[in-house]
Amino acid sequence: MGYVAVKAGEELIQRAEDLFEKQRLADEDAPITVDQLEGQLERLTAQAMSEAGLYAPRLAALAVKQAQGDTVEAAFLLRAYRSTLERWDESVPVEPSAMFATRRVSPAFKDVPGGQILGPTKDYTQRLLDFELEDEDESGDPTADWDLEDAEPTTLTNVVDVLREEGLVSEPDEPDVDAPTDTTREPVTFPVERDAVLQELARGETGAVTALGYSALRGYGQVHPTLAEVRVGKLPLTIEHPYTGDEVTVADVAVSESEAVVPVYAKRDDPQFAFGYGLTFGRNERKAISMTILDASIQLESEDEPAENAEFVLDVVDGMDSFGFIEHLKLPHYVTFQSILDRIRAIRERKVAGTTDDEAEPAADDGTDPAECESSESEPSDRETIEASDDD
Amino acid sequence: MENPHDRSDRFELIAACDGDALTRLANEVLADDPPLSVLQEPTPQLVMQQVVEPVERRPFNLGEVVVTPAEVKLGDDRGFAMVPGKNERAALSGAIVDAAVAGGHRLADDIATRLGEVATNRREERAREWAESKHTAVEFETMEDDL
Repeated sequence: MGYVAVKAGEELIQRAEDLFEKQRLADEDAPITVDQLEGQLERLTAQAMSEAGLYAPRLAALAVKQAQGDTVEAAFLLRAYRSTLERWDESVPVEPSAMFATRRVSPAFKDVPGGQILGPTKDYTQRLLDFELEDEDESGDPTADWDLEDAEPTTLTNVVDVLREEGLVSEPDEPDVDAPTDTTREPVTFPVERDAVLQELARGETGAVTALGYSALRGYGQVHPTLAEVRVGKLPLTIEHPYTGDEVTVADVAVSESEAVVPVYAKRDDPQFAFGYGLTFGRNERKAISMTILDASIQLESEDEPAENAEFVLDVVDGMDSFGFIEHLKLPHYVTFQSILDRIRAIRERKVAGTTDDEAEPAADDGTDPAECESSESEPSDRETIEASDDD
Repeated sequence: MENPHDRSDRFELIAACDGDALTRLANEVLADDPPLSVLQEPTPQLVMQQVVEPVERRPFNLGEVVVTPAEVKLGDDRGFAMVPGKNERAALSGAIVDAAVAGGHRLADDIATRLGEVATNRREERAREWAESKHTAVEFETMEDDL
């Protein structure tokens, strides 16, 4: 099945684009600036970066502006831009323990080493509309009068390491691959390695990742984890300096991270925890937690539930794939549809003709309808014919 | 990341420096009209961020980060810089600044002082950020006894 090109007036397409731009600029106020988007709507730009698999806060703000707030469209713009760039290199692999965390909560351990640090969040407040924001003029810093204690910034002990010290987590085997799979350069094939699963989930569409993770919690799966910790912070992007060979930091990359513990009963002689892991660009805890559930679910290697089926999950979580396939349906399908119409009309005409023939000619001696014999031997059935004409 | 006269430390300081500040420093260096050749044009490129998953300790590709590298030769000295994001001017300026300090340019000490301020600002900013977060540290109490 193939696609059939159509053409239309370029000028008219330009007019439609102009109307779209007019919507963005329709208000009498000055256009929102990229600086404002980057600084004040960080969640939006973070989601676009996360789903693009591309960390570039300023470009993400520009993409969000161009897409008029449509995060998937913005992610598409970022991926398109990314496709024009060369790869300098891979970074030096960074340990999550190197994260400079500004928020860390552990739902599993009340007295987690390093403490529960709420950081910037509205998690524990009521979700009520704040009408005062409508008339907000000069922004005041609500933390201006805080009496802060001097403290040397430090990294926080990873909860997995705490459990590992108690022998509750198995010591990992040495990974049997030198370099992780890169799904931006190699197609994902099944069965799939866990590193590829993590990469694909990390750039999955937030809604899709959340929905599939939620499905496991709603009974369509076995994983109902306890979160060991949720962290928000910055990971260093480290490369080898081309002159000195030293490991040097280029940038701090904002990330959200989640780890979940899942009891494993298979090893009854040595009960330990299984784990799920989630990490994504920018502030997007919802996605990181959902990724954690899906990672743990996929490790069960079952096809019984959607969230446990790697092929199902990875086939549907990518925003670009789903965006493209769903939205292409609104593009012209005139030739395809005309073909379907022709076939349906032909079927209807044949049936009318068959009815007339039935009335005119008695059935064959063996009781078989001659028209059915011809159809079943020389042509596909009517239903098969209609389905085969779909060009998608 | 503290010593601007150390090539690796200087790389980090330049990467963390404001682009406009780098441009001003580079312009001061170029005011003497030294021989300059661009070995690598400043062009946005990608670095794949690899992270070690903490349970199996297995590295995976989190995603790509946009950076802009540049390399120059200033007189007999090479300079290299890489800055976050798409910022060609900052990258080229950073490479010039790097070469100037490496070659002992007459402004090298001034540049080192300015880069030292970057380190101080960054340290203070991070300390402030950490102190603000620590200000929200909480001890959750279970309420079993109250029920």
